[in-house]
Amino acid sequence: MNTLTASPPTRLRSPRRRRVTRGVIFIAMVVMAIVMLYPFAVMLFTSFKTENQYLAGHGTSTQSWHQLASSLPIFQQLLNSTIVCSASIAIILVVGVMAGFSFAKLQFRFANLIFLAMVSAMMVPLQAILIPEYVNVARFGLTNGYLGAVLVYAALGTPFSIFLFTTYFRRVPDELIEAGIVDGLGYWGVLWRLALPMALPAIATVTVLQFIQIWDDLLVGLLFLQNPAERPITVGLAALAAGRTTSIPQLMAGSLVSALPAMLVYLGFQRFLVRGLTLGIDR
Amino acid sequence: MAEIVFDRVAKIFPGGTVAVEELSLTVAEGEFMVLVGPSGCGKTTALRMIAGLEEITDGVVSIGGQVVNNVLPKDRDIAMVFQNYALYPQMTVGQNMGFALKIRKLPKDEINRRVQEAAKILRLTEYLDRRPKALSGGQRQRVAMGRAIVREPQAFLMDEPLSNLDAQLRVEMRTEITRIQRLLGVATIYVTHDQTEAMTMGDRVAVMRAGALHQVATPQDLYDHPINEFVAGFIGSPPMNLILASLQDENGELVLRFGDQSVVVPSSYRTSHRLAHLIGARVVFGIRPEDLELASGEGGALLEAIVDLREALGSEKLAYLSFGADTEIVQQETPRDDGVPVRRRSRVVARLRARADVHEGGRVTLRLNADNFHFFDPETGASLRVGAS
Repeated sequence: MNTLTASPPTRLRSPRRRRVTRGVIFIAMVVMAIVMLYPFAVMLFTSFKTENQYLAGHGTSTQSWHQLASSLPIFQQLLNSTIVCSASIAIILVVGVMAGFSFAKLQFRFANLIFLAMVSAMMVPLQAILIPEYVNVARFGLTNGYLGAVLVYAALGTPFSIFLFTTYFRRVPDELIEAGIVDGLGYWGVLWRLALPMALPAIATVTVLQFIQIWDDLLVGLLFLQNPAERPITVGLAALAAGRTTSIPQLMAGSLVSALPAMLVYLGFQRFLVRGLTLGIDR
Repeated sequence: MAEIVFDRVAKIFPGGTVAVEELSLTVAEGEFMVLVGPSGCGKTTALRMIAGLEEITDGVVSIGGQVVNNVLPKDRDIAMVFQNYALYPQMTVGQNMGFALKIRKLPKDEINRRVQEAAKILRLTEYLDRRPKALSGGQRQRVAMGRAIVREPQAFLMDEPLSNLDAQLRVEMRTEITRIQRLLGVATIYVTHDQTEAMTMGDRVAVMRAGALHQVATPQDLYDHPINEFVAGFIGSPPMNLILASLQDENGELVLRFGDQSVVVPSSYRTSHRLAHLIGARVVFGIRPEDLELASGEGGALLEAIVDLREALGSEKLAYLSFGADTEIVQQETPRDDGVPVRRRSRVVARLRARADVHEGGRVTLRLNADNFHFFDPETGASLRVGAS
């Protein structure tokens, strides 16, 4: 006689209870969304007012948007931010990928010690090293060009990048690398043709996080980019805010323009970002 | 195709761990050589030294007559199949298989032709466009084989390629790999801790333990003439029964005594085995489970035993036996499924006919097949057979 073993009955929640739970979660999410979006909404609505309309609390106008371009070299500043951001991220990625792969997969003396030293640099706040850093960069005469700021951003971002790529590459099985070596690759080949394509989510993660950080940063731009023609957008906005008369609607318009690229980068890479933090190498 | 030679090869890891010592072994062209042994016996290290993934501390490894000690893995012209397949997750099955050829910059047509050909042999044609993660374990295993085949290498190296598969698939892939190896006729070194795989697949089997090579022989030879206690206990399932007995000369007749049992040893063993110096002392007596059968009638070497446990396997019955008095059974190092050896006192086991009439707790009389006695030195474990070394 055949005996059928039945799996224990799964306890199903009642549809009503499930609806209530989902409703509560939904409401909580809506509240959080409102909290997050509220500043943007304020910025958006304020930017479509004149100074007087803003003080009066009603009326709309596109005046501040028209004036923005004349009171700020906004396109040049956006370009400056883009150049500084891209160059810094490029350095951060190249150094991070190569160092991460080495720490994860190559054996060399004091590897752990060097890794710890590098990663511990993540703990050092920018403000603590700002003055010596400024002195160094100034001595090299790099405060009047993109290079000084790019190097500072790269130095600040690289420890995190190394940390992320190291932990990421550690999850790549050694056998995969050995398979590549037996198939005819050298270590460079393994890195570029096998490890790198697998690390795309990590690359996206580093890019997004660093882009947002560098794009939104004010302090380094303010100190290390002293040539007005090379100022990034955040420094430009700060100048706008620090003027004798600050037009709040104009400032809001400028802030929106400034926030937009970071949001676009985030939205564009969001899919990889989630994967970068959750992906396990399939065995 | 080429011959692979280990000449007194040693591997000592930094820190002094000896993984392989003085390994000398020749794998002929087209031969299927299985390296078998418990975990940590050095078999995988030996394989990795041929692949170039492990530096050679001492000795010489050559492939096809060329010393490869200092040759880069990519220039050794060998293909390797890994335990967890090591497929490139971002590539399709076809790309995985053709990758090594692409690196060697072979023309696309040639790559396609070889990939198609290998896919046909491995019955993978319909999966060529899939990613590894969309395949089952068995299919992934075949892709890993395919990646090796398309290379048309001088030698295949396989590192426990079946250990991640379930039992049924393992049996299937066992015959599949053997079929492909025969078809291609490429020298193959296959590492496993599973003695069934070793016995069924290898032209010859090399048994290793603790970095040392114990015996290289055909599976049958290994089974019939184990060179020492370890090989005797390792090969065969269930393994050989090894009993510590005292050897006595009683009125010109050699007699083994253990517990309250006595077994007469045929006189032919006086010449075929070096037993003379152990008369009056102890000897390890070995007998395979199938060389014990239920006795009907008198005569021959007989044992009286109690059946502790019986296992009916359908085609045969295993009876685990004990003898009245305190018989010393030699401790054996038996590999578990995960390959970790455990030392335990094993019981004497007899492989009986399926219909054999045995009950747990019952007494049985067993006849020993006197043609297949084995004797080992109790000190060194070495076989006492003349000619065994």
